[in-house]
Formats: sequence, structure tokens, C-alpha cells
Amino acid sequence: MAVRFPSLEFFQALQQRTIEDKARFEKLGYCDTTFGVRIGGNLYAIAFEVYECTSVRAASDSHGLDFVLEAPLELWREMVASIVKNKGADAAHTLNTLSHVGDRMKLVSEDAEGNDKFYRFQASLQEFFDQARNLEVTLPTAGGVPAGA
Amino acid sequence: MAYIAPKDYAADPEIVAKILRTISGQLELDWMKRVGEPAAFRPSDSRGLTLDDINQGGYGPDKLPEVIRHNFSMAPRGALIPPGLPSLGYRVNRKSDVWADVAPSLFEEAKSRRWAPARDVPWSALDVPSHDANHELALCQLATSLISIGLVSCDVAASWEWRMNQEFHEIKYLLCAQMFDAARIAEAFRKRALYGGGSLGVDSRPLGELLKSIFLSDTYPEASAAMNLTLFSFVQALGRHWAAHASNAADQYLGTQLTQDATRFVTYGVDHVRSHLHARPLQAEALADHLDLCENALVGALGAPEMIEPLLLVSGGFAAAAAFYARTADEYFRRCAAAGLGDRRDASALTPFLRMLEGDAG
Repeated sequence: MAVRFPSLEFFQALQQRTIEDKARFEKLGYCDTTFGVRIGGNLYAIAFEVYECTSVRAASDSHGLDFVLEAPLELWREMVASIVKNKGADAAHTLNTLSHVGDRMKLVSEDAEGNDKFYRFQASLQEFFDQARNLEVTLPTAGGVPAGA
Repeated sequence: MAYIAPKDYAADPEIVAKILRTISGQLELDWMKRVGEPAAFRPSDSRGLTLDDINQGGYGPDKLPEVIRHNFSMAPRGALIPPGLPSLGYRVNRKSDVWADVAPSLFEEAKSRRWAPARDVPWSALDVPSHDANHELALCQLATSLISIGLVSCDVAASWEWRMNQEFHEIKYLLCAQMFDAARIAEAFRKRALYGGGSLGVDSRPLGELLKSIFLSDTYPEASAAMNLTLFSFVQALGRHWAAHASNAADQYLGTQLTQDATRFVTYGVDHVRSHLHARPLQAEALADHLDLCENALVGALGAPEMIEPLLLVSGGFAAAAAFYARTADEYFRRCAAAGLGDRRDASALTPFLRMLEGDAG
């Protein structure tokens, strides 16, 4: 079944993938963080405990989040499109590459330790997004209207 | 001279007599009547049985006194301590000099997030050149510096581990994990430099001065702040930079793993320094003085041609390399503030260095 990006259903489908592809996440190791993904004006809170994603929800603010990855919808769309096309983000579209300089995707946190959780669990978080390769994703066009809608 | 035990056990009549009684079936079983506090610990989640799960009651660290005076032997925390145990001569006996609440879970995390360079790095991705020859030489030069950093970081952790009281075993475990992590940095980047037609680059004297400043720290808190906070803030950023500028899957993987491993050093450093200063606020000046010296040495290492020139090539120009240094320093200063060291920007030798780069980059 196709899931629309961005949507809560998209992140719920990724959450389910951390259970279905458990061995891959176990190989990457413990991952304990609750972080935010801000896509344009929408914020999603995603919690990881031990190996798997334990919850995703729409959030109204960043309270209780270790860090938030913020980018315009177009950049997120580009990243997910790269994941779907290449069966995982290409080098130009990893979370690390996009956030490294800070001018495209912003890594926002209230404290240094929250910030460092992004770096500490980076491979697990990248794999979480890369699991979109296993989904049928409906992406918005450049204008924001879902392709095929 | 080797330590000589106080008895000639093989010839001691009392010990020989006891052994003969045991052989004949007369067991004393005194040890069985004197066992430690009963425990019934179980895993609290799918992590398995962790140190935090078993750190309860007398087996946990919470009841440790600030200064250990009751045990200088090899007896593990929570064991019954008979009289006459030999002192192993521990010199780091103050809890606030070593402790960080995050240490037990970081030790577990280090093992859980383990990786093996021999097989986990997709080395064959390097078989087809994915960047020009100068870029490759620059990566080999940076790898050479990372090897030196890894080797000396092993030494730093090793040089304090054996001096630390056994009652702080979680910290000793973590230092062993740090040694392994640091050894893997040296291993992985040595393999990266030498894969296929590669080579090692030139060692950097200023980098050596920085590493020596850390290695010869007077106290463990100073060594921890200098290595975990200062040095590994830079190493972590270099991992991110390496991955962000990767043109193949091998470098992508190496950069990501370096980032994750280095962040555990940084995370311990922040929590350790904060705990230390919370318990002993007057130590802030000593730590700040030491970091002044190490940051000065860091300026030398970052400004050395063996470091900044390959970074410039990898980054795609001087402005990009200067911006990388600025972001790295900014995150480092945020960590120092989180650790209770205050705002170090005004005092740090990094600040005028960055201004100079910014001027030239502009």
C-alpha cells in the first residue's frame, strides 16, 4: 500500500520496518533517543529504544526532544526520492551530508548532549530513513502536490 | 624489580597442611558461609543484562564514598574483603575524579555498536577511483593523523586505567572500551591509507605536541577533559566531514563509524567533567588552565600544513575548511559550557585563530 510523504503514516511505516528488519537494526546496536523531524511547518517526534523505533507522533513543539532535524519540504522530498531511487540515500543525500554544513538541513537542539545523540546514533537513524526503500512512497512534486494526486 | 609475595607458599607448612586436608576430603567451606549481599537482578529490557541492571544495593556505585579508603586491593566492589589483602597501589581514589553516570551505559553501547574494519568496511568500493589523485593523497594524509590520534588515545586511557581504584570498575571497563575504540580508529584508517595503491603520509609535529600535552596531563580529570572533550570534539567532526565529502561507500562508512565512536568519548567527557565540577567546583580553574594549554596546542595541530592543507583539498577550498573549523569549535565550546566550564570562547587560543582564518576566507 502506498504511503504519502510527508505524513504520520510514512513514519509509522518506517517504525514498522524497524521490527520487520530487526536483525539489521540489532547489528547497528543500541539506539536511545527521541528526536524531531521538522518538514516545513510539520513536526514529527520519533522515539527509539534499544534497537527499534517505539513511537512516532505529530508534535506541536520540540519539548522533550534531544534534537530536531529541520529542512524545507523540498529537501526532504529530494532525500526520500534519493532513498527510493538508489535503495538507500546516496552520498549527497545522507542525513550527515545534508546537515553537516547547516545551510540545507539544520540540526537544532537545546543542549550539546542532545546534539551529540544525532552523531552517536547516526548509522541507526540513517537506516531508519533508508528503510523507505522498502515502501511504496507517494512523493509530492516540486510544488508540494503529491505525484499522481 | 618484580613484586615478591610475602610468603614462600610452596614451602609454608600451614598451607601445605591445609592442602593435604583438602586432598583427603576435609573441606573447610568457610568461603561458603561468608557470601556477599544476596542479589536477584534481571534484565530490564531487550538490551540484555546490563551493568545498570546489576548496579543495585551494595553492588552499585551510589553508596561509594567520595574518597576510597577501605579497599586498595583487587577485591571487586561488593565482595567480602578479608584482612591482609595486598594493596595494588591505586592512585586515583576519589569518585568525583572519575565518575560519570553515563559511563556504564556508554560501555554497553560501545560493545553493542561494535564493528570490524576487516569485513564491515566495503573496501572494494575503493577499487575504482572515485576522486582525483590529490584528493586521495589528502585522505591518506588525514588518515595518517587519525592513526596517530588513535594510538596515543589508547595510551592515554591505558595510562590511567591501572592507576584507578577497582571500586570504580565501570570507569575502568569504559577506559578499556576506549582503548579498543581508539585502536580500531588506528586500525581502520591505517587500512584505509594502505588499501590498494595507497600510502601513509607525513606525521605532524604540532599534532604530536597536542597529543603529548594530553598524554602528560597531571591529573585524570585534566586528561579526560583534554582527550574526551577537546581532542575528540575535533575527531568527531572530522568523521562527519570525512563522511560528508565521501565519494564512495567505504569512506562513507568509515566517516560514519568514526563519528559514532568519537561521540562516546565526547559524551563521557561532558558528563565526567560536569560531575567532577559539581562535586569540586574549585577544580574549574585547574581544568581551564589545562585546556588553555591544550587548545593552544590544538591551534598548532589545526594550522599545520599536514592538517589544514589536506582538509582544504577534501573540503573544496579554503573557505569551506575554515567554516568546518569554525563549526567544530562552536560545538566544542557548547560542550564545554554543558560540562560546567563556562564560556571558553574569550579565553581560548582557538578564537583568534578562527578569526584569522575567517578574515582570510572572507
